[in-house]
Amino acid sequence: MNVIIGLINGMITGATPILLAALGGTMTYYAGIFNIAMEGMMLGGAFFAVLGSYYFESWVVGILFAILGSLLMALIFILFSVKLKTDEFVTGVALNLFALGATTYMLRQIFGVKGAFASPGIVPIPDIDIPLLEDIPVLGQILSGHNLLVYVGLIATILCHYLIYKTRFGLRLRAAGYNTNCLDTSGVRSDRIRTISVILCGIFCGLAGSFLSLGYVTLFSENMSAGKGWISLAAIILVNGNPWGIALISLIFGFSDGLGLLLQQYLPSQFTSMVPYIATLIALYVYSSRKKKEKFS
Amino acid sequence: MDNNDKPVLIDMQHVVKVFPPDVVALNDVSVDFRQGEIHAIVGENGAGKSTLMKILYAMENMNAGEIFYNAKPVHFQSTGDAIANGIGMVHQEILLIPEYSIWENVVLGLEPTRGFGKLDEKKAIADVLEKIDEFGFHLDPLALVKDISVAAQQKVEILKLLYRNVSVLIMDEPTAVLTPQEIPQLFDELRRLRDNGHTILFISHHLDEVLDLSDRITVLQKGKMIGTVTSKSTSKKELARMMVGREVIFSSIRKPCQHGDTVFEARNICYRDEDKVERLKDINFTVSSGEIVGIAGVEGNGQFELVNTIMGLITPQSGSIFVQGKDITEEPILERRKLLSYVSQDRKTMGSSASAPISENMIMTHHKLEKRFQKWNGLVLNFHEVTKFAEEIRKRFSVNMGAPGAPFQSLSGGNQQKVILGRELSLSSPFVLLDQPTRGLDVGSIEYVHEQILGMRDQQRAILMLSSDLDELFRIADRLLVLYRGKIVADLITGKTTINEIGYLMLEGTIHEN
Repeated sequence: MNVIIGLINGMITGATPILLAALGGTMTYYAGIFNIAMEGMMLGGAFFAVLGSYYFESWVVGILFAILGSLLMALIFILFSVKLKTDEFVTGVALNLFALGATTYMLRQIFGVKGAFASPGIVPIPDIDIPLLEDIPVLGQILSGHNLLVYVGLIATILCHYLIYKTRFGLRLRAAGYNTNCLDTSGVRSDRIRTISVILCGIFCGLAGSFLSLGYVTLFSENMSAGKGWISLAAIILVNGNPWGIALISLIFGFSDGLGLLLQQYLPSQFTSMVPYIATLIALYVYSSRKKKEKFS
Repeated sequence: MDNNDKPVLIDMQHVVKVFPPDVVALNDVSVDFRQGEIHAIVGENGAGKSTLMKILYAMENMNAGEIFYNAKPVHFQSTGDAIANGIGMVHQEILLIPEYSIWENVVLGLEPTRGFGKLDEKKAIADVLEKIDEFGFHLDPLALVKDISVAAQQKVEILKLLYRNVSVLIMDEPTAVLTPQEIPQLFDELRRLRDNGHTILFISHHLDEVLDLSDRITVLQKGKMIGTVTSKSTSKKELARMMVGREVIFSSIRKPCQHGDTVFEARNICYRDEDKVERLKDINFTVSSGEIVGIAGVEGNGQFELVNTIMGLITPQSGSIFVQGKDITEEPILERRKLLSYVSQDRKTMGSSASAPISENMIMTHHKLEKRFQKWNGLVLNFHEVTKFAEEIRKRFSVNMGAPGAPFQSLSGGNQQKVILGRELSLSSPFVLLDQPTRGLDVGSIEYVHEQILGMRDQQRAILMLSSDLDELFRIADRLLVLYRGKIVADLITGKTTINEIGYLMLEGTIHEN
């Protein structure tokens, strides 16, 4: 029983950063931006989360810093791909590489360590016990006692669904993705909608990053996002950006994450850490064959 | 009501527009539009009709001139500004979101909301429905735009402007995307709008339509204002003369033809598409040298597949195609191109590379087939020859263009077609395939293209022409085939049939029994 509960909890924990980043990415997906920079935004967020939490001795500041760090990446993305109209894919690649280089550099310069920085001075994001619910056997163990950001992820899924499908902003957001000209001639500046979508993506990726370095573990290590941004992209594409679909796919990826850890007992870790990337490849294959069908229909 | 009684609503004075470096699109054009009239703007392709309207709608800036609206000088900053002031434009291509419902498309950008930015769906649908009823549009606001006809989509575009309380509607060639049956309905709706006090500015180059619909007509020719006439006091002939600057003949210009040998032959062609739908059923016909064979048919009856089979873009399951006795059914496209010229109906994607220079568009295919364009064993182009060739085509086909290095898309539609025709007709191929060669062209250009086609016939080439314009087919084709559900249901000599007969064949596949 405990093994199953452990696996489910592991799945939820593994799903959270993917879910948060993917919810951000789905905003840009609907706005018609091929955004692959979630990886970089997340990594930037993870570093700044540790920075804020360590120096201000507060996880709240940590989260704020993470959002700011990730927003910085988002602003670079906006400057290049929305304002200067550079290719989104190339911009995304550049941003991801920049994030990796910059965080590694700052890790060495600011904290003076190589590889990873861990310290008791880093304040982690607390776990939340839900009164009453926590007392229910089994269910309480599964639903209660998770990290704050797990619940934020759940609420964010509901909010994103509402935002995309029920609000004026959502109607315009999707219109930007479907037909920019139509939106512009309707008197709405599509550039602004796109900019807002990237900013929202930055905020969500900041949360995802802070979960990596202040929730999952309490440390920052080089390249600690380790492809989670790419997996979030795969999740978005697989379900055409639907927030609940993303939540489901995130759980599956979270499960494969846990499975990877489990498999480490039998296979070399180099192989088990391939799992997320193989999943991404499969997702992109599905995407491309669907695109092809659209083209010919 | 006499139009002269209506007050002037919009007055455009001395409008000048120059597209850099040296194309004068509008040269001192002054025109006024009255409240509650349908005012057509006609002219050949490239005459400046669309540019003039885009300036009014603030999509383009003008270099000089003034616009008065309700007797006040105005200068709209953006199209949104123009709409807020009651001027809206329906573009040539439909600009809607197919995945959205009609009401979502209509309210987009001006959505009624409740707290927290939530869409007020009920109010939006009610508002849209009210507008639909007010103007008698017969639309279901909940239907998805992708599921409705093009004519209905156009109505949605109009509705979108009416929802914004626009009183001046600019329509850029609205009939271009409609079937002949849909056009009278659109006109009825436009008349009703006019009777409600709306002003309609209507760009077209179909003179019959213009005379039928509009109260007054303004004619532009090469960026110059020729004049404004009331449609009651003018005729098709006069309008055509004003547009082109010379007499245009509308009657048949066929001369008796002298057949030569068979050049093209399609033998037992059958084609089923990916979904196993039979698109071509046992197609058999020939085209002889010095003969123009026309193919009539309602779109979607196999024309697309027939053209693609001949060009080698699809391979038929059975049957063969011969040109000058050579079986080309399985030949690669370059081999085919040695034997056939091809003008596609789709200028933009199939017929040209829109962003490539004009000169490169002119030498396509030539650069592969002719040694003089190649240097170093075909590794590089001989640009000296390319420039010379471009100049030849420009002269021979009187293409109105800037430098040969300018992008193809900088040309007007008529000139684009001239470049493509120039390229294809300069090939020395015995067989010429023309798919809607005059679609979207104005009367002057159409006449020109027809002359070129007849000229080719005189050179003893074999010509196969597909057209949805029956008048065109009757004007120049010697023989007419009718395609109906993938079958050739008739093979008639043009002089021995009538438009009515062909019409029945197109719609029902047989001649009406009488």
